[in-house]
Parts: sequence; structure tokens; C-alpha cells
Amino acid sequence: MNMKEVIRPAVILLIIAGVAAAALGAVQSITAEPIRLQEEQTRAASMKAVMPDATSFEEITDADLTGSLTAVYKADNGGFVITTEPSGFGGAVNTMVGIDADGVITGLRVTKHSETPGLGAKSTDPSFYDQFTGMSGTLAVTKDGGEVVPITSSTITSRAVTSGANDALEWFAANGGAY
Amino acid sequence: MANPLKIIKNGIIDENPTFVQVIGMCPTLAVTSSAINGIGMGLSTAAVLIFANLFISLLRKIIPDKVRIPCFIVVIAAFVTVIEFLLKAYLPALNASLGLYIPLIVVNCIILARAEAFAFKNGPVAAICDGIGMGLGFTIALGVLGLVREFIGAGTLFDITVLPAAFPRTLLFVMAPGAFFTLGCLMAALNHFRNKKKA
Repeated sequence: MNMKEVIRPAVILLIIAGVAAAALGAVQSITAEPIRLQEEQTRAASMKAVMPDATSFEEITDADLTGSLTAVYKADNGGFVITTEPSGFGGAVNTMVGIDADGVITGLRVTKHSETPGLGAKSTDPSFYDQFTGMSGTLAVTKDGGEVVPITSSTITSRAVTSGANDALEWFAANGGAY
Repeated sequence: MANPLKIIKNGIIDENPTFVQVIGMCPTLAVTSSAINGIGMGLSTAAVLIFANLFISLLRKIIPDKVRIPCFIVVIAAFVTVIEFLLKAYLPALNASLGLYIPLIVVNCIILARAEAFAFKNGPVAAICDGIGMGLGFTIALGVLGLVREFIGAGTLFDITVLPAAFPRTLLFVMAPGAFFTLGCLMAALNHFRNKKKA
């Protein structure tokens, strides 16, 4: 076998891969900053959505993350914004819950999920998440004797979001006074 | 070179990637639970397909035959990743609705299939036309699938309720089995018409 036949394709593949890698590196370094800003803006906007009365939020870095909690933010009006990650039907359902100083939910949003499109994915519809606003104590879906009306045919997703809200409320009951 | 319009028509009708070639089934079945999802996936794939075809056609004289498949994959993956970065950075609204599909496009075999079967053997203009045709053919197929499934499964069209609330919804159709049923019925109907035309 001719050596040239082996080396030539390998070198060309190497060059193409190298050019592609360089292009990716360049694009990545150009877009890294705008992407970070966009993500920050998105997070700030959803925090504002779950707690409309607050203007600034600060992460509590030493918070005891119980249950499905992933982060706790203290709002300037005395409330808390808590992010949780309960398990749904298709994986983690990232849920953000705002709780005011009296332990009442000021808002809830599902920020990221991989639930079934057309079913569990409806957890991002206001018709579902708006019902959490004003609730407090321990929540459960109607099937389990509570007052959260689940999404039709998506009880598992509805239960997941409800458990996320419960974990947040529990954290508040146990630790809310300490911050 | 063949007539550009003929190449486009070929992609939409005669060699429709979904109904005739039956390739790219994974995204076809997975995301067509509603008309909007289907069209969104179709259009994002079409955009990648057009550019991937163009690049591969331009590089066709440089790429050695033996390593063409790895070269195609590198070009396609790099291209999709660049699109993902740009969408995230500058078009966050579009990214929020299409972000889910972007990584899926890399593994869509339609793009690799067209690179191999068409772009590698034809000039850049023809390759772009093939990308447009195949992309539109894929978009139409996914849109129709999504439309049917959304209508039967949720009673809505483009998120607007069209069936009266009392009419029962067959939820199965927005779930995975419904994708297979709908695709099978649509293909059977299309084959029926095609055979009739031939006879």
C-alpha cells in the first residue's frame, strides 16, 4: 500500500478538523460574554416574575439545601426566591418559587424541563403555575387530597412541581427566620 | 446542471425525505406533537441543511473520498454548534423556542445523507437548491404530522382551540404511539395516491 494514500487523507482531515476547531473557538470566545449576560437577564426576569415586589436578589451561599433545593436567594423585601429540581416524568423539572416573609407563595415558574411536549410541558402555562400564587403550608395535587389542580394526564409532572414548591416551603419554615 | 426548480421540487415531492426516503425519523416522531413544534424543527433543519450542503459542495474537490464521512460530520457539527452559540448570544427569544431542537439537528441523518448523496457530487448552486427542497419537504412533512396529531390529540390547531370542549380528545396522539400511527396512515394515503397516478 502506498504511504501517500494513507497520509494525504489523514492530513486533510486533520486540517479540516483544525479549521473547524479554530472557528468554534473564535465563535465561542466572541459569544461567551453575551451568552452570560443573556442568561443572567433571563434569571433576573424569572426572579422578578415569581416575586414582583422585590427589586434585588442576593444568593445565600451557605444555605442548607434540603430536599430538591438547588439555590436560595434573599430578596430585599424580606422574601426568598428558591430554585428546586424535583424529578418529573422525563427528568429534572427546574422550578423557581418565590416565598414572601409570611411564608406565602408569591409566584412559581418552571424554568427548565424535559417533560412530554403537549402534556407535562404544559407546566410552563400560566393556567397551571398561576394557581400556586397565594398558597402556603403543605401542598398536594387534588388526587392526593390537596388543592393543586394537576395538568390533565400529567399527574407525575404536576406532582413534581408541587413537591418542588413543598421543598421550598419546608426550607422556609425551617430556616427562613435565620436569614 | 439540472434545473434548480426541478431539484427543489424533487426534494419536496418526488424524494420527500420523510414520506418517500423515510430518513430522519427520530426528530420526526419525537417533536411533532404540535404543528408549531414540527414547523420549528423543520425550518431549523432546513437552515442547517442549506449551509451544510453549500460548504460540503465547495469542499468536495479537497475532501478525499476515503475520509469523506468524518469530514462531513466535522463540518455539520461545527456548523450546528456555531448556530447554537449565535442564537444563544444574539437571538435569545428564538433560542428559547428552538433551543431544544438545535442539538438534535446534528444527529439528523437527512443532513449527512444529502451531503453524501448530493452535495459531494454537485456544484454549490445545485447543492443550495437541494438543501432548500429537502428542507422544505421535511418542514412540510413535520408540519402536517404535527397538525394532525395536535388536532386529534389536543383539539387545537396552532394552539387555537378548534374542537368544542365536549368533543373527546384522543390523548394518545400527542404521545409517542400517536406519532407512529399518524406517520403510517399518512404514508399509506400518499402511496395510495401515487400508485393510482401510475396505473
